[in-house]
Amino acid sequence: MNVVGYSRNRTTGATSVLPAVRIVLIYIAMITALVFFLFPYYWMVSAAFKGPGDITAYPPVWVFEPTFDNFRELFQNLGAMKALTNSLIVVGISTCLAIIFGSMAAYALARFEIKGKEILALEILLFRMVPPIVSVIPLFILARKLGIFDTYWILIAIYTSMGLPLAVWVMRVFTQEIPRSIEEAAMIDGCNRLQALIRVTIPLMLPGLVATIVIVFMFAWNEYLFASLLTSSNARTLPVMTAVTIKPRAIAWGVASAAGTLMSLPVVVLAMLVQRYLVRGLTFGVIKG
Amino acid sequence: MSTNQTVAPSRAPAKTIHESFGPWLLLAPCLAVLFLVGIFPLCYSLWISFTSYHPTNPSFDQGFVFLDNYIAILSDRQALNSIVVTFLFTAGSVLASLIFGLLLAFLFNHDLPGSAVIRTLLLIPMLVTPLAIGITWRIMYYPDTGVINYLLAAVGVGGQAWLSSTGQALISVIIVDVWQWTPFMFLILYAGLRSSPRSPMEAAAIDGASGWQSLIYVKLPMLKPIIVLAVLLRGIDAVRTFDQVFMMTRGGPNLATDLASLYLQRVNFKFFDLGYGAALSWAFLLVLAAIVVTFLKRTGFINYISGKERL
Repeated sequence: MNVVGYSRNRTTGATSVLPAVRIVLIYIAMITALVFFLFPYYWMVSAAFKGPGDITAYPPVWVFEPTFDNFRELFQNLGAMKALTNSLIVVGISTCLAIIFGSMAAYALARFEIKGKEILALEILLFRMVPPIVSVIPLFILARKLGIFDTYWILIAIYTSMGLPLAVWVMRVFTQEIPRSIEEAAMIDGCNRLQALIRVTIPLMLPGLVATIVIVFMFAWNEYLFASLLTSSNARTLPVMTAVTIKPRAIAWGVASAAGTLMSLPVVVLAMLVQRYLVRGLTFGVIKG
Repeated sequence: MSTNQTVAPSRAPAKTIHESFGPWLLLAPCLAVLFLVGIFPLCYSLWISFTSYHPTNPSFDQGFVFLDNYIAILSDRQALNSIVVTFLFTAGSVLASLIFGLLLAFLFNHDLPGSAVIRTLLLIPMLVTPLAIGITWRIMYYPDTGVINYLLAAVGVGGQAWLSSTGQALISVIIVDVWQWTPFMFLILYAGLRSSPRSPMEAAAIDGASGWQSLIYVKLPMLKPIIVLAVLLRGIDAVRTFDQVFMMTRGGPNLATDLASLYLQRVNFKFFDLGYGAALSWAFLLVLAAIVVTFLKRTGFINYISGKERL
């Protein structure tokens, strides 16, 4: 019991025995990774609750009296509530659109014989490569002309188009990993294509779908460049509000950290809520039996 | 008789039309959005790139200059510098996060008690807003008061200049990118590892292959499509990196971290040289497209994506 541990090794499908030394080493490696990847986040969250003196203190302060001053400043003077609402509306709508349109396109590309579909898929991917800085100027002029500058519409349109290539490509790979034969079997059993899709394919790729939703949401939620150049006060999102705290001379590190904490909270919570689908869900073989 | 004859021919084309237009109906919304928000602005930008457009300076000649902007790139040292910096940043970051992602994926594949919780917590860096990450790391990197130098001093390593040194700034921003995106690589690779079929590994074990042998000769090749997908998505995002580096260094010191996106931002929004900025954007895009297409062909991923090969 003390010298050997058991681990289910799914790669061989059998229970294999690992030596205790190796188990200890694996735990040490995992804990080291955990500390490395979590420390900066911890540092940001703790800075959000530090007073002005504690943030710049050297040696760094590990134990301090938490204060909510930074958050109070955000909500009372910097309009955090408005920015939060804007972010939720814009990102929520654009994520839904990107996932719906993207899944439709992915299914078409994975299941139908279309002339030149490889090139089409590649062209869709090319949009993912376009750096935002390239298209922001023409979009700025367009938004001004259409009167949608500083409204939800321009950001929804941009974030939908940003999420689409990722949704199409990831969903397409997930669809391709499900053998056509499963769908064809359902169709032989009397389902039409849509029924086969809803009853067989979608349940099989649900974990992948949920993971894709989270990733698309995250990229839009965290986007700064477009939001900063295409909004001014009305449709300002959280990252833009955060950047306002960084003034060239007097940088309010505490307020900036508080804004970062506030901003990261919804995404972290969302990812934890769907964690079962995001991580464990993906571990189920998409093809079962 | 006559009704049968008229129905039969009309039915066959109807089915063909359904089968051939169906996929295009599915593709239509996606393509419409990408056309309006993607292609149209790019075409407009292409037009601007042939002009000398300075919106803030009406006295400046705004006219058509054809390829002058493109020719000017060739003698623009800052532009060439930004391309080199972008390449080093992307290659360094993608390679390091792939290696760490793979190591983590194999590490967590042991399925030891508690690893599920750690795995979930590990995802946090990729969830945090890049802008906030830039702010936090900038505080941590401060040579005099930063916590990183403090921790290094605790283990006997002398203080580093990090972001404020020309020699270390690029590696510093790469470290931040690797920290942020290794979880993304890990997530994809781990999922690929768990969803790949077991039977080849069993067969290798029966044939007497050791754990490491079957890992390298059976598992890694099976993971290849997943690895290529992960590298592709990560690479494309790394090339576009802006927020964190803008927040940490604004391209400095001495242009050591001046990514193409930062240089473009300066040309467009500081100098308002939109014609030249558009030409730079297009040159940048063409180089990127060439690299991605070559990558897809070299890795054979294009066959996998198009369904010619299966996992």
